[in-house]
Amino acid sequence: MNDTTRRSVLTADDDRREGRSTTHPSRARRSGALALAATGALTLSACGLGGGAGSSGGGEGGEGDEGPVTIGISLPLTGDFSEPGKGVQRGYEAWAEYTNANGGLLGRDVELIIYDDQSNADRVASDYEKLINQDQVDIVVGPFSTRLVVPAAQVAQDYGFLFVEPAGAAEEVFTQGFDNLFYAAPAIANDHYNYLAEHILAMPEGERPTTAAYASMDDPFAQGTAYGLKEKLEEGGIETVADEVYPPNTTDFSSIANKIANTDADILVGGTQYQDAVNLIVALQQLDYQPRMAAFSTAPTNPEFPEAIGETEGILSPTGYTPDADYPSNAEFVDFYTEQHGNPPNEDEANAWTTMQVVAAAAEANDCADPSPECQQSMIDWLRENEVETVVGPLSWDAEGRPQAAHLIQQWQDDEIVIVLPEDASDAELSFPKQDW
Amino acid sequence: MTALITQAVILGILLGGLYALLAAGLTLYFGVMRVVMIAHSAFLILAAYLAWAFHRATGIDPLFSLVATVPLFFVLGVVMQRFLLSRLKPATLTMMSVLLTFAIALIIEGMLGFVWTGTQRRISLSYSTASIEVFGANIAVVKLVAFGLAAVSLLALYLLMKATSFGQALRATIQHKEAAALLGIDTEKVAGYGFGLGLATAAIGGTALALDSTIYPSLHWHWIGPLMAIIVVGGLGSIPGAAIAALVLGLSQSLLQIPLGTTWAQTVFYLALFLTLMVRPQGFFGGRLAQRF
Repeated sequence: MNDTTRRSVLTADDDRREGRSTTHPSRARRSGALALAATGALTLSACGLGGGAGSSGGGEGGEGDEGPVTIGISLPLTGDFSEPGKGVQRGYEAWAEYTNANGGLLGRDVELIIYDDQSNADRVASDYEKLINQDQVDIVVGPFSTRLVVPAAQVAQDYGFLFVEPAGAAEEVFTQGFDNLFYAAPAIANDHYNYLAEHILAMPEGERPTTAAYASMDDPFAQGTAYGLKEKLEEGGIETVADEVYPPNTTDFSSIANKIANTDADILVGGTQYQDAVNLIVALQQLDYQPRMAAFSTAPTNPEFPEAIGETEGILSPTGYTPDADYPSNAEFVDFYTEQHGNPPNEDEANAWTTMQVVAAAAEANDCADPSPECQQSMIDWLRENEVETVVGPLSWDAEGRPQAAHLIQQWQDDEIVIVLPEDASDAELSFPKQDW
Repeated sequence: MTALITQAVILGILLGGLYALLAAGLTLYFGVMRVVMIAHSAFLILAAYLAWAFHRATGIDPLFSLVATVPLFFVLGVVMQRFLLSRLKPATLTMMSVLLTFAIALIIEGMLGFVWTGTQRRISLSYSTASIEVFGANIAVVKLVAFGLAAVSLLALYLLMKATSFGQALRATIQHKEAAALLGIDTEKVAGYGFGLGLATAAIGGTALALDSTIYPSLHWHWIGPLMAIIVVGGLGSIPGAAIAALVLGLSQSLLQIPLGTTWAQTVFYLALFLTLMVRPQGFFGGRLAQRF
C-alpha cells in the first residue's frame, strides 16, 4: 500500500483503542509517521473485517450479520478540493462515531473505509470499483464536488448500488440518467440564489440594480450557482455587463478584476469556492471598485474569510446549512460535533452528516444494509417515495435525484453572518446597498 | 476602453517584473550547470510559506523574513549543488537533473502539506488593498512592492555578474566551463555559488509572491510551466534574455485576457514556446552562446 491510497478505518473498537486521534484529520496529518503505522495496523484488521463482512453480505445477508456495516467512500483529501474534502470527511467520521456510540446502524457497528482520490476523476472511479469489488463494502456514499460525483455515481450505478452524495449539486449530475442517485442537500446549484433573485426583482424600479457582473470558476457547481442567478436576473431585465470564467488554479485575479471594475456593475456575483473569492475581492479592492450588492458562493461562510479580506460588511452568500436551524436532529449534531472539534460544523460537515442520515433512514426502513441487489434496490425505491428528516430540514427528491427545496441567503452584518432570506426564516433584513469594502 | 487597457498594461508590467525575477534564477542554473531545475518554483512556494509563517508568528512585515530566507536559500543551494547535483554523471546531467529536482519538488510539496496542511493561506497586511492612482489607473501597493523587489534584485544580480570578479568567473563558467577551468577558475565552487545565487532569487520571488496571492503546497506546478517557457524563449542561460521575455510575455498575458479571458490567455506562454522552438530554438535573446534545447 503506498501513501496515496491513504485509508482510514473507523469502528467503535478501533476508536477506543486509538483514542480519538485517528479520527481527527489535522492531528492525524501532523503525526504522519505514527498515523502511517497505525493505518497499517488498522488496514490489516480492516481487511480481515472487510472480508468477513463481504462473505456474509454476499451470501444470505440480513439478520445473520454480526460484523460491522462497512461504508465505502472516496474523498478528495489532497489536490484542488482538499479543503472541502476534509470537511466532508470530518462530517462522515463524526456521524460514524455518533452512531456507534448510540447503538449503531441496525444494531451493528459502522465502519468507514475512506480513500483519497486526489481530486482526480479517473482515480475516484477506480476507488469505488475497489470499494465494491475488493473491500466488498455494504454501502457506498459520495465524494465531494460534481466533477467527482459523476464518475463515482456511474460506478455505483453499474453495480446496482444506492448512491447518496453530499456535494454534486450541478445540473449535469442529474442529467446523466442515474436512477440510483440522491443529492443530500436542500437544493441544486442553479437554485441556490432563488430567494435572492426574487428579492432583487421585487425591488422598486428606481432602486433596483440595472447591471450585473459575473465571475465564476470553471467548475460545474460554482458556475451553476452564478449562472442560475444570471439566468433569472437576465429574464428580469438586469443587464449582464461582464461574464468571466477562470480555471480552478487561478491565483492572479488582477486582470479579471480590471475587466469587472471597468464595467462598474451594480451587482457582483461570484461563482466561487474559497481562495478564488478572496483573491478576486482583494484585487477588486485594490482597484477601488464598489458594487452595490456582492454575492459569492461558499467562501463567505469559511471561518477564515473575514480575516482574509478585511471588510466583509454586506457580502451575501447562499447556504444550505446553518448550525442555528431548529430541525429536530440538528441540535444533537451541532452539540456532538462541537464537543468533538471545538467549533460548530460547516456546510461540508453538515452535508456529509445529512448523506449518512439519508442512507441510515433507507437502511432502517428496509431493515437491510448489504450489497445485494435486492437490498440496494429496495433502499433506492424507498427514497424515491419518502421524505427524510435531516439536519438541513426534511428532504425529498424528484426522479433524477434533485432535492426539492431552496437555499437560505446569508449576509455579513456587523462582523456576523446572518440569515436574511427568505423573510420567514430570516434573522435580519437584507441590507442594500452594500457598504464600501 | 482606454482605462481598461492602461490598467492592463500596468498590471502586465508588474506581473512581468515578477516573472523576470523568478525566471532569472531558473536560467542561471541552466547556464551555470546545464541543470533543469524543476524544484525552483517549489522553493519559491517554500519561501512564500516561510514569509507567511514568519508574519503569522511575529506580526512583523513579511519582507523582513528575507533577512533569514535569502542567506538560508543561498546555503541550501550550495549544499544541494555540492552533494546532489554535482554527483550526477556529466553525460546525462541535464536529463537526470530533471528527475532529481522533480523529486525535490515533491518532497518540498509534501513537507509543506504535512506541516501547514493543504489549506490556502494568505498574508493579511494593513496595506493589502491599498493602491496608488496614476493616470487614472490603480496600482496596488503590494504589487508595486513585489515589482520593486524584483527590479532591485535583478539589478543587483546584473551588477554582480558584470562588475565583480566572481561575476566574471561565473560568466566564464557559463560560456565555456573547460576554458574557465584552464584559466584557473575553480568551476566547481563557482557553480555551487551560482546555484546558491539562483535559489536566493527564489527566496525573494517567493516572498514577493506571498504578498498578493493565496498560497498552497501544490501551487508550484502552476508556476514552473510558464517559467520554463520564459527561459527557453529568452535563450537558456541568458539573464537579460529571461528578463525581457518575462516582461513581454507577462504583458501579453495581461493584455490577451481582455479579449480572450483567463483560460486562453495563459496559453500565450506555450504558444511562444512552440514558436521559439520552430523559429529560433536557441531563444530570442541568448546570443550565439546560448544552448540549443
